[in-house]
Amino acid sequence: MQQEVEKYSKSTRILHWVHAGSFAVLFLTGLVLFIPPLGTLAQDGWSRLLHRVAAVIFVVAPLIYLGMYWEKSMTAIREAFTWGKEDFGWMKAGYRYYFQCDEEAMPPQGHMNTGQKMWWLLVMVSWAGFLITGAVMWFAKTLAPPVFLQWAVFLHDLVFIGTGVMFFVHIYMSVGHPLVHPLREGAWNSMFRGKVSVHYARTHHGKWFEEIVRSQGKNS
Amino acid sequence: MEKAILFDPALCTACRACQVACKQWNANGAVQTTSRGSYENPSDLTPETWLKIEFREVERNGNFDWLFTRRACMHCTDAACVRVCPTGALRHHELGFVTYHKDLCSGCGYCRDFCPFDTPRSERDFLTGLAKMEKCTLCMTPGLDRVAAGYEPACVKSCPTDALKYGGRGELSAEGRKRIQALQARGYTNAYLYGEKELGGLHVMYVLGDSPEVYGLPTDPKVPPATFAWKDVLQPLGWAVGALTLVGLGLNYLVARKTKLSRERTDKKEEGNAARG
Repeated sequence: MQQEVEKYSKSTRILHWVHAGSFAVLFLTGLVLFIPPLGTLAQDGWSRLLHRVAAVIFVVAPLIYLGMYWEKSMTAIREAFTWGKEDFGWMKAGYRYYFQCDEEAMPPQGHMNTGQKMWWLLVMVSWAGFLITGAVMWFAKTLAPPVFLQWAVFLHDLVFIGTGVMFFVHIYMSVGHPLVHPLREGAWNSMFRGKVSVHYARTHHGKWFEEIVRSQGKNS
Repeated sequence: MEKAILFDPALCTACRACQVACKQWNANGAVQTTSRGSYENPSDLTPETWLKIEFREVERNGNFDWLFTRRACMHCTDAACVRVCPTGALRHHELGFVTYHKDLCSGCGYCRDFCPFDTPRSERDFLTGLAKMEKCTLCMTPGLDRVAAGYEPACVKSCPTDALKYGGRGELSAEGRKRIQALQARGYTNAYLYGEKELGGLHVMYVLGDSPEVYGLPTDPKVPPATFAWKDVLQPLGWAVGALTLVGLGLNYLVARKTKLSRERTDKKEEGNAARG
């Protein structure tokens, strides 16, 4: 059997899918207020109720994870802010890699590649953005001065546009791009089963693979 | 033809027949209130109170004045609520009024956040957020549509002093201007026909004997700037960015798949050559 390495632990994968699922519900129930012809779907407010249920999950799930796995969370957060020369290499190679499928052009990437890091950063920023503006609309409706409520809607929409668009990019990059076919390899496997093949780790996250090899060398 | 209501506070005796008629016609129940030391009651607009008369005690030129102001939806031409309503529950009627289609209301409350006159009201469940907005429908609720049947709105019908008049907007604003001139001739130099120009023209106009703030009305009301930033800039931008992203991803797929396939073909050829050679 082919050798495999763990990329995401079970708890991380559960958080990912719970968070992604709640975001999908939030996205769709928000979209009906965003695109006028869909507006009738929002009548009587049931989409808004669903939006609130999903919002609680969206906000609370990462907090539970943070409380249960403090160390791991901090490592992950540090990861988003740790940028090196391989990240600039990623940006330089981006076009040749993602459009021309030239896999040689990409310098070895860490546990997360630059695109994944940027998305992970955006997820953290937008989580806070959605939470603050959403909380104003939920808890301060009619209490806060109208101008706060007006700009809260505006900012909520701004975060929605940015994150909603990148949500599609994220799905596409993970399971849609010609380079990630077949589906049961790489990104999909790392988040679905938690493990990736050694071959995949070496070719797509070379820097990370080196680190694993080095640390195993030290241990043995 | 546009219609309107003309309200003349000088003729109003604050009998509040309009308040009662509004509740009666629209089947809105009475609400128990507590005495606050004023004849003014209830204290604010509520989901069951779409119209109320406000009482104001002011001193002008050493004289005491008791001013009565009508508080209800102003039926703006440039209505912020119509701009922000995401379901189309709030729309303009051909007569110029802002009609309300309650079935469509999602309870989002944007109309209340953006209304320059703070008139929409709703009972909001704190936890679920479920709500239905309420406001003056100008007696045009389907099934209770007085206007379509050729009647005046209930408030106007019930007014015993003709402080409220209903009619063509052009005629009423001409009438209002005449009254303002008369007031000014009698020394009310600040007299002002409120609603003639505000927000593209309100469909409830006020013959004010003094500046609007004396009557508790906003001077030069505006659609909040956030409305334009949100509805006319950000939202269309969002549609464009969303559509472009989907198109961009589709194009990337086509381009990347093509180059990937051609790469694989040349790889195979090279392998074949290597095997043969």
